Amino acid sequence: MSRGKIAIIGIGEVPTRIMPERTRWDILYDICIQAVRDSGLDKNDIEGVIAVSPQAQPRLTSEISFGKIPEELGLKGCRDSVVCNAGGASTSNCLRMAEQWIESGIAKAVLIPHVTVHSDIPLPEVVNFFARAGVDLQWEYPFGSTYNIIMGLMANRYMHQSGCTPEEMASVVTALRSWSSRDPNSLFYGKEVPSVEKVLGSDLLNTPLHKRESNVLADGGAAMVVVSAKDAKKMKKPAAYKLGESVRYFSACPMLRRHEEVGAAFQDTAKEAMAEAGISKDDIDLWNIYLAYPLAHPMMAEALGVAPPGQGAKYFAEGRMSFGGDIAWSTIGDAPGRGHTGSGVSAACYVETARQLMGKAGERQVKDCKYVYQNTSGGSGFNIIASIWGREL
Amino acid sequence: MEFEMTKPVPEVQPWSRKFWEGTREGKLLIQYCRDCKAKIFYPRKVCPECWSDNLDWMEASGKAKIFTFTTAYGMVEPRFMDELPYTIAYVDLDEGIRMMTRIVECEPEEIRIGMEVEVVFYDREDFKLPYFRPVKK
Repeated sequence: MSRGKIAIIGIGEVPTRIMPERTRWDILYDICIQAVRDSGLDKNDIEGVIAVSPQAQPRLTSEISFGKIPEELGLKGCRDSVVCNAGGASTSNCLRMAEQWIESGIAKAVLIPHVTVHSDIPLPEVVNFFARAGVDLQWEYPFGSTYNIIMGLMANRYMHQSGCTPEEMASVVTALRSWSSRDPNSLFYGKEVPSVEKVLGSDLLNTPLHKRESNVLADGGAAMVVVSAKDAKKMKKPAAYKLGESVRYFSACPMLRRHEEVGAAFQDTAKEAMAEAGISKDDIDLWNIYLAYPLAHPMMAEALGVAPPGQGAKYFAEGRMSFGGDIAWSTIGDAPGRGHTGSGVSAACYVETARQLMGKAGERQVKDCKYVYQNTSGGSGFNIIASIWGREL
Repeated sequence: MEFEMTKPVPEVQPWSRKFWEGTREGKLLIQYCRDCKAKIFYPRKVCPECWSDNLDWMEASGKAKIFTFTTAYGMVEPRFMDELPYTIAYVDLDEGIRMMTRIVECEPEEIRIGMEVEVVFYDREDFKLPYFRPVKK
């Protein structure tokens, strides 16, 4: 049970860009210092570091697995350091581990950082990493599968069942980018929001996925400071309190995931997390969805009951999930809007959840934001973790 | 900057060798549990339903229906570029197994969800991969 045990009290982030000139440690310094300063704590108050595992960066993973972050930052009060890896679900697990460390007395304040620099990794390594990650090396990879192909398989089935059109599916990109064009931390900040015609006019990668419905790999980093909910309350600063969580495991192998079971689990975990938080669907002010690909968003909207069955894509086409629409949805634009930073997209999503609840989201601020639904998934979707966050206990 | 251009072969486990021996003989084998009667795909060391190691193999009919598919036109690994466009699908075998495969011997535009297909074996190094093609009416 997660209700009311921890809170995020500090956040730090660098804008997601393609910036090979910045080293990973350069970014780590900035995000960690920002997050600690934002929390109001002293650096030596940080008693634990639980880092989100950086994907496709084995050297950095080794360095931070073996405890380099507290040493580099001079965190004199640090009692332990660890890296946590569950792909895109890593950040959720860092938060769970922070909860355990805080509850058990290992640490009063925990720093959760993530950094990824894709742009200096040789292209063949990145291509090979993303081709092999999240698929089975015996039963899927030899057929020529990729992440894009896994998404195409799912999207074609969804379109077959729902009858939604390519135009409606493409409108998800328009919606997500309408948020990210207003997000200073997005790769697409200040950039033109692509129209449906422009999305469908981009190269067809694999049916029904167009280039603009895929992701741009980028560099970025984000960090959070977490303390007990009780301590956060005492500090009387804006905070994001974890109020509920629920999870289901599906399978590591995409072909073994039964689509109907995945949809049911999206629904069930949301209900369970909301029940733990003591709220209902109507109380949610922001659906901060992390799915990595736009084509999965309509399915999620339906599973969560935000849109009626078969109407998910239509809701996006009507602009309801866009900036200015009546449903606040993925206010950083998920990975397609933010720029894909590997497992860091989930870190960026949690930081946004905290930012919205703290009332620091600027132009994208959801009015009177009290409750946020935040999900993550790892790999190519081996699980679903649903959580509810609130601005008060 | 050098890309690996060799086509990947299945990373075989001791308990899946029989499956790949079967494909070399033109047979699509399905593992099953003699104790709980579960049909198992992909093959495991023990039955994932009851953990029995009393496992055996049966030959599948090779008939299936397409559950979903996607045709790739670009952004695949360089080692697969020479095969573009190609179609990857999940097919449901008559025996109740779902597997990933390629759909071959037809134009991508002809492929439909629900289409009846049959197994055909294609060479990959010293392996034969189970692909599927439309059943001729």
